[in-house]
Amino acid sequence: MYKKQIAITLGVMCLALTACIIIQLKTVSNSNTTISQSLKENSLRDEVLKWKEKYDSVYEELTNSTANLEKVRKQATQNDTTSMAKQQEITLNNMLLGLTEVTGPGLEITLADNNTGLNKDGSEVLDISSQIVHNDDLLQVINALNNAGAEAISINGQRVIQTSSITCEGNIIKINGQRISSPFKIKAIGSPGLLSGSLNMIGGYLYYMKEDGVNVETKQSESIIVEAYNGVISYKYIKLKK
Amino acid sequence: MILIAIVIGCILGAVIGIYAPMVPYTYSGYLAIAIIAALDSVFGGIAATLNKNFDLKIFVTGFFGNAILSILLTYLGQKLDVDIYLAAIVVFVGRMFNNLAIIRRYYLNVWEKRRAKKVEETNEKVQ
Repeated sequence: MYKKQIAITLGVMCLALTACIIIQLKTVSNSNTTISQSLKENSLRDEVLKWKEKYDSVYEELTNSTANLEKVRKQATQNDTTSMAKQQEITLNNMLLGLTEVTGPGLEITLADNNTGLNKDGSEVLDISSQIVHNDDLLQVINALNNAGAEAISINGQRVIQTSSITCEGNIIKINGQRISSPFKIKAIGSPGLLSGSLNMIGGYLYYMKEDGVNVETKQSESIIVEAYNGVISYKYIKLKK
Repeated sequence: MILIAIVIGCILGAVIGIYAPMVPYTYSGYLAIAIIAALDSVFGGIAATLNKNFDLKIFVTGFFGNAILSILLTYLGQKLDVDIYLAAIVVFVGRMFNNLAIIRRYYLNVWEKRRAKKVEETNEKVQ
């Protein structure tokens, strides 16, 4: 009897211990902390991970609240024609601001770095930098798309809105404060033929990129989904002129 | 019986651990300290068994008590901005090494006695 008791308690304790160890191993391997020489760097990394966690939970809250708001708004405007019209206006404005997911015909462009170091004809490239997608390239492509009448553009899931900036941050590119890297998938809603033609024509920007040896692929499509902007649009300085 | 229970416990624990949700990174430091404390208790238990003064009550309370206490102390240390967890690690790992030394000496003794016996037996046969 006594021995049985010992066996059961030991078994339960081993269970708890191994479960804890495995969970810890999983957590550590998932947060990919490499042991660094300097304590400072480690604590900074800790800090970043903690803030990221906080950000994630707060962002989840925000999405929940937005969904709630939408629901409340719908309920409040159910039996009122004027507020119904207002509601429609809000939805339309949100769509134009880029705060909702939109769909329509358009063009999908994939730009990827060429890491082979070879030109199109097989000769070695002189300047490897010319075969890498830079922030300038993205800016030029977006400019050309806008020129061709694109109505909504996103790069790797980041919606391009009126305050979006595209900057070079070493070997990655930052857009809307989020880091993205090659391959870049640009989705634009507009007339597929017009968008494609303006970029791929001889003298168009993608034509030059292809000539340089960057991996460029374009695909016209009848329905493309462009993601919503997932940040917060805030203004500090502008006011309505009276 | 006891060995079987331990093995089953380990396997079940591993399975639960694999399917359990991950601990948020903020708390994984506490869990690590708790694991070290629990491991220290396990080695202490083994050493006590070899010395024949193993007490289940002391073992169980040590196992869970040490784990919880170390978590609380680590938390307190973080609030006071003192790295108390370093002290906990030093104490627990130091004790772990002590216990391992006791275990090693015990088995070394057993092995040496056996060898001495064998030498004696062969000597007797020769004579």
